Amino acid sequence: MSGNAVRVQGLWKRFGQQIAVAGIDLELPAGKFIGLVGPNGAGKTTTLSMVTGLLRPDQGSVEVVGHDVWRDPAQVKARIGVLPEGLRMFERLSGRELLAYTGRLRGLPGTEVDKRATQLLDVLDLAGSQHKLVVDYSTGMRKKIGLAAALLHNPEVLFLDEPFEGVDPVSAQTIRGVLERYTASGATVVFSSHVMELVESLCDWVAVMAAGRIRATGPLTEVRGDAASLQQAFLELVGAQGRDAGSDLDWLGGGAR
Amino acid sequence: MSGAQTSLTPVVVRLKLSLLRNGLRQSSGRRAAYVASVVVTLLFAVLQLIGLIALRGHAHAESLIVLLVAVLALGWAVMPLFFPSGDETLDPTRLVMLPLRPRPLVRALLTASLVGIGPLFTLCMFAGSVIAIARGGAAFAVGAVGAVLALLVCVALARAVAAANVRLLTSRKGRDLAVLSGLVVAVGAQVVNFGAQRIGASGLGELDPLGAVLRWVPPASAIGAADSAGDGEYGVAAAQLALSAAALAALLWVWARHLTRLMTSPDGSTLQTAERPARERGSSGLARLLPPGRTGTVMERSLRYVWRDPKTKSAWVTSLAIGLIVPVFNAWQGTGSVYFACFAAGMLGIQMYNQFGQDTSAFWMVAMTISSPRDAYVELRARAFALLLITLPYATVVTVVTTAMLDDWGALPEALGLSFALLGAMLATGAWTSARFPYSIPQEGYKNVAPGQTGLAWISIFGGMAAAALLCAPVIALTIWANVSAGGGSWAWLLLPGGAVYGAGLTVGGLRLAAPRTAGRLPEILAAVSKG
Repeated sequence: MSGNAVRVQGLWKRFGQQIAVAGIDLELPAGKFIGLVGPNGAGKTTTLSMVTGLLRPDQGSVEVVGHDVWRDPAQVKARIGVLPEGLRMFERLSGRELLAYTGRLRGLPGTEVDKRATQLLDVLDLAGSQHKLVVDYSTGMRKKIGLAAALLHNPEVLFLDEPFEGVDPVSAQTIRGVLERYTASGATVVFSSHVMELVESLCDWVAVMAAGRIRATGPLTEVRGDAASLQQAFLELVGAQGRDAGSDLDWLGGGAR
Repeated sequence: MSGAQTSLTPVVVRLKLSLLRNGLRQSSGRRAAYVASVVVTLLFAVLQLIGLIALRGHAHAESLIVLLVAVLALGWAVMPLFFPSGDETLDPTRLVMLPLRPRPLVRALLTASLVGIGPLFTLCMFAGSVIAIARGGAAFAVGAVGAVLALLVCVALARAVAAANVRLLTSRKGRDLAVLSGLVVAVGAQVVNFGAQRIGASGLGELDPLGAVLRWVPPASAIGAADSAGDGEYGVAAAQLALSAAALAALLWVWARHLTRLMTSPDGSTLQTAERPARERGSSGLARLLPPGRTGTVMERSLRYVWRDPKTKSAWVTSLAIGLIVPVFNAWQGTGSVYFACFAAGMLGIQMYNQFGQDTSAFWMVAMTISSPRDAYVELRARAFALLLITLPYATVVTVVTTAMLDDWGALPEALGLSFALLGAMLATGAWTSARFPYSIPQEGYKNVAPGQTGLAWISIFGGMAAAALLCAPVIALTIWANVSAGGGSWAWLLLPGGAVYGAGLTVGGLRLAAPRTAGRLPEILAAVSKG
């Protein structure tokens, strides 16, 4: 695959007085593992919501694999998979029922949906809980079933909002394995996170966001530059260097007195 | 350590007051609601007090009073199961990390539970009860002790029940149960209403046998003691008081034991996952009967939610119950009319309203698969089908039953026709308002509208219902014509197919109007239904 998976131009979003996204231009190459990083409140979720068509931008255009998200929704929705953050799923369905529902809603034939669901449940280690209602799932299990639902129709681009937030290390490793296999086949993953170590170890391309703007974008090595780690580079980019705990807490530690 | 123990009670009482104050500080709406509820409760308490005092000297007063006390005590016992989030100090697991012993903790929590409107209201009731049945100074003295004792029993009962069920109450099942509480209250009110009507018809004497038993059941026995003392039966009064005191002691013991167990064992949330063995379930039989593609998929999901989602379930049960009760009870009391049977269709049609709000923010999963008005049309049509699968037979049965009870078979076709037309109109307006005026349904608690969206909900439901009535006007006019004009009666049967076809036409029209609006407003709908 070549070209851009996502092309964003002049994207704006305000919520009342607050500007969440302040005129973003962004081009994300296809076939890469892309990390959208930034502190809490940087506008990552708002950006991903607008890119996936779940939130209407005030201004600007979004193209996913060459199709405009708002003018050509049919082409875009068939090609993307989404795992949003902070939105519910149909949680009164069991894990398997949720996959069966999602797949059929996407127009896949029933037998194919059931076959894929079985494989995804197995790979994601959910086979044992497939008949439990999603409402009773733990955070990690929810993320995994959400990922399964997003992958079911084999999308070209996968958008994941904080896929590792609140996930235990075992589930995180499982999710990672599935995503790495998926990108190795030429598909694109765009995921947001504020954990730099994770992004550094997973991604080959990053976009750094802060206060509603893109601060840097490009291959990981380029964005990291001369800094020791992405964490360091990031702190320099968003200007949060040199903050120390100070001497105010000098009573803390050293045993009870 | 004794110093620490004696100071625990004021700390917990102050904690409760702070929690109450902070809860009110969160929003002015909440403050207004709280003040309103306090005023209403106090007003109610005063009215009760006046009513009870007016009862003084009535021959069967004692039977009524002990019944009231027993009902109130039952209320206290059931309340923590349905309103678990009402009192945070009620949840002892929050105190688990503190080094506390059960005995002072019980004392402190009991005192804290006496603070609030509920206990105040109960105390007013009990005071009024004593005034109503006590005769003479000794009786009042016994009654005063009895009232306090009864209040303590009520509070201890609530606490013991809550502590014994805390695992249930903090789990998802417990929260589901809480959502259904409104239903229990509604049905209970209906039962009380009918009971009161019967007593009104045949007098308080009916209660005497029940009263004779209840005056020995704590905490009613503590109030009954005032009556016994008034009759000069001091031995009986002492025994009744002792019985309540023993009950209080037993409840406190049970409560303390559960508290100890709660404070020393892991809480429910970590054990939950190991509890239920996974049930093996294949695809249900129903699924195979449903049409293929999006239609069947959406229908299956909708029908599953009627049963599994507590909010949806309680809305459905309410609609089903009221849709049945209004025509059938009216027919039973001889005041009914066949046309009341349309109530069933109307009530069930309401379920079509705010379809996407019922999805909550999970609507994004639907939104991701709608990319044309056609998709939206199929989605809405499938939801209407799922609704009709329950509503159509139900409305028919209610209409037939009502007709049979009134023995008015001549009016059956037109009543059915009217029902179907109304149902069609409700589905049409429901689909359109779902797209145009969606609002969030909070999943926790008893509210059905998220704060700030009440206006939307009103426009949606009442505007929609008025529009539905207007849309039905032709069928209503024809029904009137058939009944009024000379030769109209022989044409009345035509109203059945006519009403059905008209209703179906309305539904299709409504869905066609709603579909492009839904497809064009997906992000706006998602934002509107994600506030809960």
